[in-house]
Amino acid sequence: MRANEFRAWFFSGRDGEAAAVVMRVDGERVVVEATDGTVRESEPLTTVMMSEPFDHAPRLITLRSGGTLEVEEEGGRLARALARAGVAVSPVVQLRRWWPAVLVALAGLIALVSLAYLKGLPLAAHWVADRLPAGIEGRLGDQMLVALDRHYLGPSQFDAEWRERLARRFADAATKAAPGVPYRLEFRATSEESINAFALPGGVVIVLDGLVRFAGDEAAVLGVLGHELGHVAYRHSTRQVLQSVGVGMLAGMLWGDFSGTAASVPLVLGVLKYSRGFEREADDFAIAFLRANEISIEPFYDVLVRLVEREERRGIATLPDFISTHPSLAERIEHVFKALDE
Amino acid sequence: MGGLGGPPPSPPNARKRRGGAVALLDGPPRGAASRSVHEERLEIPPSSTYASAVAVPLVPLDADAPSMTTAPLVFTGRGGEYFRIWVVNLLLTVITAGLYSAWTKVRKAKYFAQNTRLDGHVFGYHGNPKAILRGRIIALVLLGAYTWGFQFSRVAGLVTLMVLCAAGPWLFMRSQQFKLGNTSFRGLRFGFDARVGEAYRIMLPILVLWFAPAVVTALTADEGWQLGLVGLLTTLAIPWMHHRLKAYQHGRAVYGDRSFAFLGARRKFYGVYLKGAGLVVLAVLLGTTVAFVIAWFRGPASQFPGTGFEAAIYGGIIVLPVYVFAWPFLAARLQQAVWTSTRLGDVRFRTEIKARALFKIVFKSVMLTLLTCGLYWPFAAVALARYRIECVRVDSELPLTAIAADLHGRPVAALGEGAADTFGLDLGL
Repeated sequence: MRANEFRAWFFSGRDGEAAAVVMRVDGERVVVEATDGTVRESEPLTTVMMSEPFDHAPRLITLRSGGTLEVEEEGGRLARALARAGVAVSPVVQLRRWWPAVLVALAGLIALVSLAYLKGLPLAAHWVADRLPAGIEGRLGDQMLVALDRHYLGPSQFDAEWRERLARRFADAATKAAPGVPYRLEFRATSEESINAFALPGGVVIVLDGLVRFAGDEAAVLGVLGHELGHVAYRHSTRQVLQSVGVGMLAGMLWGDFSGTAASVPLVLGVLKYSRGFEREADDFAIAFLRANEISIEPFYDVLVRLVEREERRGIATLPDFISTHPSLAERIEHVFKALDE
Repeated sequence: MGGLGGPPPSPPNARKRRGGAVALLDGPPRGAASRSVHEERLEIPPSSTYASAVAVPLVPLDADAPSMTTAPLVFTGRGGEYFRIWVVNLLLTVITAGLYSAWTKVRKAKYFAQNTRLDGHVFGYHGNPKAILRGRIIALVLLGAYTWGFQFSRVAGLVTLMVLCAAGPWLFMRSQQFKLGNTSFRGLRFGFDARVGEAYRIMLPILVLWFAPAVVTALTADEGWQLGLVGLLTTLAIPWMHHRLKAYQHGRAVYGDRSFAFLGARRKFYGVYLKGAGLVVLAVLLGTTVAFVIAWFRGPASQFPGTGFEAAIYGGIIVLPVYVFAWPFLAARLQQAVWTSTRLGDVRFRTEIKARALFKIVFKSVMLTLLTCGLYWPFAAVALARYRIECVRVDSELPLTAIAADLHGRPVAALGEGAADTFGLDLGL
């Protein structure tokens, strides 16, 4: 068998019969010869459709006549003959056939995914959040509140008069420190007296009775509310929702063909990671908020410290949401502490 | 070496036949001639391995059907090779922000098709990436509308469901047409006999049942007894829906000018799902116990289920046993039920897939994928494909070569496949 000749199966496309033939790469043509030597097909290499080479699979070569050739690679002999005849190998195939190149590609992939995860997604989420119609954001927050009310939250135990007074105090402070940040304050309680406050997309700020009792001081409560107002001003909740959608899409791209449970696991990891920077921003906002209203930062700082002490006593499993950024907690306290000195 | 790249123990003929073009079951006169020509080139002496590989399929199945021959499917893909393809595919997909995914889908489909050999010949995949890209954009829009519709408003959600019901059957029909019409064997295309009326008759009841709980949730203020009732009805109908879909998919499939037939296996589906539901309950119990033990060890103050991140971890611990234990059972038994009910003329299909073996593969895949931060994924995909493919047997009274020679191609566009090429949807059903 000459270097440019290959035994192959020929399928006419008219029936399923497999004909044993010899395929010859003849100059710039593919010639198909029957076993008795008669030429069945002859076609320029430029018009045939050739499948990509795989290590252990035969090549499928489709001719204009509708016929198909099934030709084994024969350990690279076919690829060499085609290369001699001037058939170009696509860069993608060249890349994936060479292990060192694949490892470089893997390193590039990891770098790109990390970059997209750490920088690209937050930027994209920020960009989209700023352009999202207020109506959609509001509806998103309202729906989350409905779900929270149905499953976790109950009405506040404080009397309406007290709530109204705090709300008015906060409204005045907000007008002074951050006019034009639309928010809605909601009082709620949970059965196990959770110490928490949080902001939902669209500006809903929820404060739980447990937090108010724990803080004790009105200035401290205002500090926490200022922190939540910071989340609202920077649209952190909306950005977080958008980022987790982005992480889900990225994970789907990597491990699923838009399916598979495995793809949804990193989604939650993404939410946790992102919140650290947001908490820092909100703390800064709270400090500026308190300063603009000439309220001491000390009570707010005090709440943070007491929360950490409490957590250290109970183990870190019950950290409330508005402080749930374990690794940066000490850092955050230090950050606020610095503001205290200034 | 075990799993990393090396194939699991498979019949020796799976790897020995580098030549591949050997027709294991060639019929006497013409086949004998073609084989003699090819023996020289294959350079595989009729060693004992080779002889036994040929002999196995020719052993009669049982005394009642002495002339029955069996052809196994052989998968020649390797984890290491697919890993390289996977990495390059992913890099290009990420660089192009997902647009290249349609081209990677085609390369992946070609890899798995061309590494699947039946009777010495391989399958081919011919999907057009641009059509797949169009299909993906349509799917993404529908998925987005479905996911966010009810978040936006009740009306938007209900309209989305109506659009899905109206377009779903047609889209499913077209996706089947695209998938099968772009798959070939021995130079002949598979196909799907798509009739619009039938698609709606088959699919509309499925879609209505499937969306019923969502509609009830939207229309009633509280998640009351109505939702419970409708949810129960839909759950009980899952085997019926799945069977109806499979019967349609397999019953309207075509190879060359010959139609597949599906005999029906509704009772088997219910049996499998009943046992599967039992396994799901057991798996959830197991997972919940493990989660509680972990929560207990972490101290009395730790919350179960906890919030946010913790809830997700605990959820994962509960869901993992379902995926590892219950899914292999359902997949194995349903594959058995579906293929034993499928016919192509006199050709019958069997699968010797075993839930236990599938469980071992899934368990190993999940563990190694988690340990390697996802890098084992392509090896897992190959191992799973190899097992599922190599379990299938094709039984026929005449050798496949003789049957295939008697098959004819369809006139082009006989099944409206031209239109099907405008977009390709992969629904993964």
